[in-house]
Amino acid sequence: MLTNYLKLAWKVLLRHPFYTFITLFGISLTLTVLMVLTSFLDHLLGPHYPETNRDRSLYIQMMTQTDTAGTTQMKGPMSFRFLTDYVKSLQTPERVSISSVMNSSNAYVGSQKIKLNTKFTDADFWRVMAFDFLEGKPYNEQNIAAGDQVAVISDDFKKEYFGSASEPVVGKTIEIENVHYKVMGVVRGSPVTRFFTHAKVYFPYTAPKSNYQNTGFRGNYIAIVLAKDQSDFKAIQDEFYDRVSRIPVPQYEGGTKYDVLKVMNETYADNFLGTIMEGPGLRAVFLSIVGFIVFMLLGLPAINLVNVNVSRILERASEIGVRKAFGAPVRTLLWQFIIENLFITFIGGGIALVLTVVIIQLINHSGWIAYADLTINLTVFLVSVGVCFVFGILSGVLPALRMSKLKIVDALKG
Amino acid sequence: MLRHLFKLTWNKKKTHALLIVEIWASFLVLFGLASLIIFNARNYLEPLGFAYERVWAINLQNNQDTTDVAEKIQQVVRHLGTYAEVESVTRMGSNFPFAASQMSNGVKYNGTHSMMNFYTVDENFARTLDITPLAGRWYQSADSVGKHRPAVINQKAREKLFGEENPLGKILNNDGENTWKVVGVIGNYKDKAEFMENKPAMFELLYADDRWNSTLLIKTKPGTDALFEARLVKDVTAQLKGWSVEVDHLTESRTNQHNLTLIPVLIFLIICSFLLVNVALGLFGILNLNIAKRKDEIGLRRAMGATERAVKQQFLGEIWVLATLSMLLGLLFTVQFPLLHVFDVASGVYLLAMVASVVIIYLLVTLCAWYPSRQAARIQPAVALHEE
Repeated sequence: MLTNYLKLAWKVLLRHPFYTFITLFGISLTLTVLMVLTSFLDHLLGPHYPETNRDRSLYIQMMTQTDTAGTTQMKGPMSFRFLTDYVKSLQTPERVSISSVMNSSNAYVGSQKIKLNTKFTDADFWRVMAFDFLEGKPYNEQNIAAGDQVAVISDDFKKEYFGSASEPVVGKTIEIENVHYKVMGVVRGSPVTRFFTHAKVYFPYTAPKSNYQNTGFRGNYIAIVLAKDQSDFKAIQDEFYDRVSRIPVPQYEGGTKYDVLKVMNETYADNFLGTIMEGPGLRAVFLSIVGFIVFMLLGLPAINLVNVNVSRILERASEIGVRKAFGAPVRTLLWQFIIENLFITFIGGGIALVLTVVIIQLINHSGWIAYADLTINLTVFLVSVGVCFVFGILSGVLPALRMSKLKIVDALKG
Repeated sequence: MLRHLFKLTWNKKKTHALLIVEIWASFLVLFGLASLIIFNARNYLEPLGFAYERVWAINLQNNQDTTDVAEKIQQVVRHLGTYAEVESVTRMGSNFPFAASQMSNGVKYNGTHSMMNFYTVDENFARTLDITPLAGRWYQSADSVGKHRPAVINQKAREKLFGEENPLGKILNNDGENTWKVVGVIGNYKDKAEFMENKPAMFELLYADDRWNSTLLIKTKPGTDALFEARLVKDVTAQLKGWSVEVDHLTESRTNQHNLTLIPVLIFLIICSFLLVNVALGLFGILNLNIAKRKDEIGLRRAMGATERAVKQQFLGEIWVLATLSMLLGLLFTVQFPLLHVFDVASGVYLLAMVASVVIIYLLVTLCAWYPSRQAARIQPAVALHEE
């Protein structure tokens, strides 16, 4: 029976190539946009190299100091000392890493200028993050305690600075802003969209110009807390918030008095959304705008599809009349149309899959985002197939319902 | 004729409901796209107001060195002036042209309050960025002796605060005890690149004993290369032990600012064009089918003496009525944007976007209906009636 339906569907597709083209164009376009979007979101938020532990990590990135009147507000990352005192010593997490936010700098080789991002980290950074070391090894607690001027560099920077991708460079020195550092290791770089791990050069936090000595609460460091398991998140947050609430206020920072101290400790996705929009009101606005855009993006092709289908099914009235006259029940006809529509949606889905692969490869190789690693993973694909299915039902059921209500006489007349 | 067409459409409102929804949704999408493009295009046409080519920004950071910071920065400023490759040096805050950082402050004059982009820059700023004051002059260090801090405002700020009044010599203040005396007015200052809206801006004199504002802008001679830059960084870091020194070329920062605007617009544009092509194809298909269904009606009209032209006009007229209905519905939504001042965009942008969307939708439906209507008009009455 099913093969019969499929055969029928195939013949119907071939009968009017133009309408088939319209339908396929709509379906594959919408799905492609949707899949590229989801894979980009997955690239931004999912656990990928080198932050493969992201799903069991909490990020402490923003401290807000407000006075009672609420007129003055200071916010930003924290000092190394604050994070050492209040985060590093937490009992519940498996491990805590403290690293600086991205700094930018320049290096010069001959007449060549290299723009670079640098990061100061502790030794645990290399244990919390899963970097691939192409050569050498990370710096450890001894290097940090001794204040060694060493660095771990990315493979991109190695190529730019030393001019060769294959030659080993561990033990050689690099010069940045008049300071010489010994290269300890070379890692495969992290994309710039992962700003907690992206850098071209990583220094131990005791290297010059790291400002880890600052005594205030705010500074330029953030902490990433690795939990043993996601279920520990609550316990870690409770322990941390309890500690912060015990810090006596009011205090002074940079000559300004503040009474309320708030430090966020949250998952990567929450943290990411939090930096885009502050405050609950803005969040609702942002989400409704995004919702509206997605609705339009899906709604418009869906309406279009339904429209075309409705018009086309009437075109086939006589065929339906004949089938009904020979005793086909409404249910059978309904199934035929639903399957027909699902069939075309899945062909559209297949085309969309191919298009998505092409676009993703283009993005990955265009150098638009260095180290971009967009992939179609299982979740993205399943989501798209699900959407495919909904589309098929949406544009299949409505016209089919109308159709099956036709009287035999009317259908035959048409 | 028009009433007749409305009647025809109304009689088939059920069949047309989905079509109306489709045109309505396309109109909204188009309106969003048109607003975005018109807003940015209008900004782009406004001149920047300064010259950025050959200008480099040198960011200094004192790190753990906290002694004589102001004096050390001034030393570097003097030292940079001695290079043959450097035409001019100026010192300012971290909100230098095309940088991500910005600062804004509220300023008052006679009860008129306005938010301004705020810049602390020294006397050489105008010379380094080729800014010519429209009225008055750029301030000098010598102006700092008075009670009020000297300031320069841009044309936009002048309109906001003074209207028709002459701003020169007037005193501005804020809620605190700060006061400024306006000594000059400049034209535009769009420091976040061409796509930025022209906003009110105010410049105040940077005092030599200031230890916070530590970005230096230098204008280099044509043909200055990275070899000089490397030498410069080496010299400055040798002079300032433990300080961070970073050099940005304004041309590169400008490209970054452009991309921040252009990439989202481009993505939106691509997606919307595909959506519209999709809608157009669908519309074409539906109209084609509709006309095939109404063959007998057309045959009858033709037999009763209607010309080809009249038939064609009827079908085009029907789709125009449909489009008009959908767009009236859409306009109900879109007029809320200028009325409620959503997103703080000038009402003119929304109005222009509405006009553009209406025109494009009419063009689109006409394009889609043209071929099917012609087909309809060519139907021979004898053939159509024979089939019936």
